[in-house]
Formats: sequence, structure tokens, C-alpha cells
Amino acid sequence: MNGTSRGSKSSAFSWWLRTGRLPLAVNPDGLELKFNPWHDPADGRFTFVGAGRHYGASQADAAGGASSRTSDRTVAATALADRGKSRTGTRSHRKTSRAGPPASGAHRSARPVAPPMQPERGEGGLSGDHRNPVTEFVGGVGEGLYEVGKGTVAGLHAALTTNLATTVRGAGRGIAGVIDAAIAAEDTPARIQVSRAASAVASASARDIGRATGTIAGNIALAAAPGATLSKAAALRRLRMARPRPTYEPPQIDRVRETTRSKRSWKPYNDAAPGARAGQAPTLMRTMADGSKRPVKFDGIQGDYVIDRKWKVVDGPRARAQILRQSQVLAEHRLIGLWEVPTSVQKAKALKLLKKMSITNIHVKVVKP
Amino acid sequence: MIAMQVADIIAEYVVFLTLTDEDELNLDTAVKMTESLADHLEEMDKGFLRELVDAFPVIAEEYSGEAKEVVRNIAYSFYLEEALAADDPVRLAELAALRDARD
Repeated sequence: MNGTSRGSKSSAFSWWLRTGRLPLAVNPDGLELKFNPWHDPADGRFTFVGAGRHYGASQADAAGGASSRTSDRTVAATALADRGKSRTGTRSHRKTSRAGPPASGAHRSARPVAPPMQPERGEGGLSGDHRNPVTEFVGGVGEGLYEVGKGTVAGLHAALTTNLATTVRGAGRGIAGVIDAAIAAEDTPARIQVSRAASAVASASARDIGRATGTIAGNIALAAAPGATLSKAAALRRLRMARPRPTYEPPQIDRVRETTRSKRSWKPYNDAAPGARAGQAPTLMRTMADGSKRPVKFDGIQGDYVIDRKWKVVDGPRARAQILRQSQVLAEHRLIGLWEVPTSVQKAKALKLLKKMSITNIHVKVVKP
Repeated sequence: MIAMQVADIIAEYVVFLTLTDEDELNLDTAVKMTESLADHLEEMDKGFLRELVDAFPVIAEEYSGEAKEVVRNIAYSFYLEEALAADDPVRLAELAALRDARD
């Protein structure tokens, strides 16, 4: 600070102490400086009263409204008069407002643009605005929290919707990226908001203080819930690292001629298995220890299930050997066996036998004939 | 007397299905026919089935080696005792315990 500016400031201060009014603001040429709160939102240039947008103390958005000109003029005049009379508002405003001109209102917000979510002020302007500061503060907290959450949700939404062909894995990456970015940047918004709140607290309204508090609280909440957040991020990272399931060639299922004939009930029951063909049995080739191939016959096939229908369950040497053969060939072809039996009694026998032999890739199901 | 003759036929058939080499008899077809034989046996008259079950150990003595064991175990392999005790839950539980203990 040079001596001239210090002297002019002390002079202005002494003027204010003696008269209760601020001295007129003049430029070096001696011309009086006045504050024009009307700006064009498109390019920021000054406009005449009533045209463009009012960024002053009343924060009324009277874009070109002829009916509002009178009230805005009244508001501007009232604010100007208050500026001259108020001792606290003027000082705080000069300290906090950088972009604003020196003659703004005493209760001007720290934000340069009035938020669209803020309710409209009454026609009486500042002089008639007697809002409950507690309610304003709580509302501001809610807005701050909402904005923090909105940022995260918007990121997630963008990650999920930017590409319609996004796969589940891709979505997992996007969500992980958003959460990771939120965790990495958790300090920055809080610090910024704290500094803003500290600088604006002198002149900000209760709603503005609440908004800053809510923003800080929202960001701190993100940082203070490391368990939930990090567990989600870790799980999603696992998704990112998960490799796609390898695709295998479809199982080679052959059909062999089957000429077994019988007048007993088991014959039509076996022939009615899903995927069965008359006179042809589905067959999987089993690889022997010497590399040779031997067929294993079934009764039907449905998807990944190879079906063997058993009218009666027996527990003989050949029956047990068949179970081992079926289990081995099913494992070779990455398929699941399904025994279909006509009664629950047969199912109980089959389950006990399979459990006894520690077979896990053959299931049992009751299918009535 | 007739039960012994029928049991002899059954024993011969079971030995064929169980011990015939894979090159001569498809293994899965053998199991299929074994299951068919089990259906036949379970549908027999209970009194006659009782005589058959009692006849198999006697007939098994006429066989040797692996075939002897196969014939002796026909009642066990085909769940014939369970078929005879179908209306007796206590007996069925006892047979289940014996089967579990055997393995």
C-alpha cells in the first residue's frame, strides 16, 4: 500500500465516522463512479436499467420486465441509501466481493450470480425481506449436500449412459472411476468451500452460509465413510480386473444307434427324455488313459444338462462304474449330468449313491412318467 | 423249487450283465437292462420275491470268484430287501442303516 491510498482510506474512514455516510466514489478525473447492477447475461456488458439481468443487492431477475422496473429502481435506491447509512454492510462487502462494484447492497451474496434455486425475494427488496435465518441456513445446508450428491450421481449417470453399448464390465469401470475420483479429490472441495465460507461469512446470507456448510459436510461425509466407499471401489476394481469367462467349443454330442426294445414302462420313459430321438442315444466321447475314445450314452440333452433317465436305481458294480464314467465325461466336456427318476424313493436312492461316491456334477430330479 | 429255478436264471443274467467284457456288451446298455431287471423283480409277488432273495445265496455257491460275489449281492444291488419292507418304515430304517454301515 502506498501512502496515497492509505491516506485516502483513512480520510474516507474519518468522513464516515463524522458523517455516517461514505464519501462519493470518484475516479482520478474527478468523475463520480456509480454502480450499475444491470448486465447482459450473454456477454456480461452493462445494460440500461430493466434490460439484461440485475446482479445487485435485490438479486431480482427482471430481464426486460417493464413492470419490474419501478420496483427495481426502488430497490436500487433503497440499497444505495442503505449503503450510505450502513456501517457494517459496506465494509464487509468490500472485503469479500472481488468482481462486484463498490456500491452493491449490504446483504449481497458472495456468489456473483444469483442461484436459480433461491426463492424470489419480495417486492420490498432488502428492506422488506425478513426471512427466518435458521430456516435459510437449513435450506442452504440442503442445497450444498444436494450439489455434492448431484455431482456424484451425474458422474455415474454419464458413465452408464454415454455409450449405449457399454457392457457390465465397462459400467463397473465407469463407476469405479467416479468413486475413485471422488475419493482422490475429497480434500479439494472441502478446502475451497471452507475458504469461501470464511471470506463470505461476513456478508453472506444465512442461506449462503448453510450452502457452504452443506457442501463441506457432503465432502467430509465422502471422506469419513472410507469403509463403505472403499469397499465399493475395491469390489468394482475386482470387476475391472475380472477376466471374461473363456469360451469353450460347444460339446461334441454324437448320436449312436440304439435298438434296445422292451414292453416295460422304463422304455417309453427313457425315450421321452428332453432332446431324445427315437432309436438314437446322445453320446459323449470319453478319453481313456491311453488316449483312446469311448462313448458314454445318455438318454437326452437340454442346454448344459445331459440327461440320463433311470426307471430304477441299482447299486451294482456296473452301475457304480457307469456313475464314474458319466462324471468323468461330463467334467471333460464341462457339462452337468441330470438323472431323471420317476419317484422320490428312487431319487433318495440316487442321491445317497451319488453322495457315497462323492459325485457332484450329477444332479437328480423327479420327473413323473 | 420253482423259486430256485427262477433265481438261477436271474443269477445267470445278472452275471452276464455285470461281468461281460465291454467289447462284447455296451456298458451303458448293460446298466439299462440291469435297471429293467430291477423293475421286474420289484413287481414280483412279495412271497415269491422272498423265496428268490433267500435262494440267491444258495445259488451263489455254485459260482466262483467275482461271479459268486455278484450273485450273493443281487438282493443288495437291486434293493430287494427294501422292496419287501416297503410298508414297514422301521425295517426300512434298519436297512438304510445297514446299507450305510456296509459302505
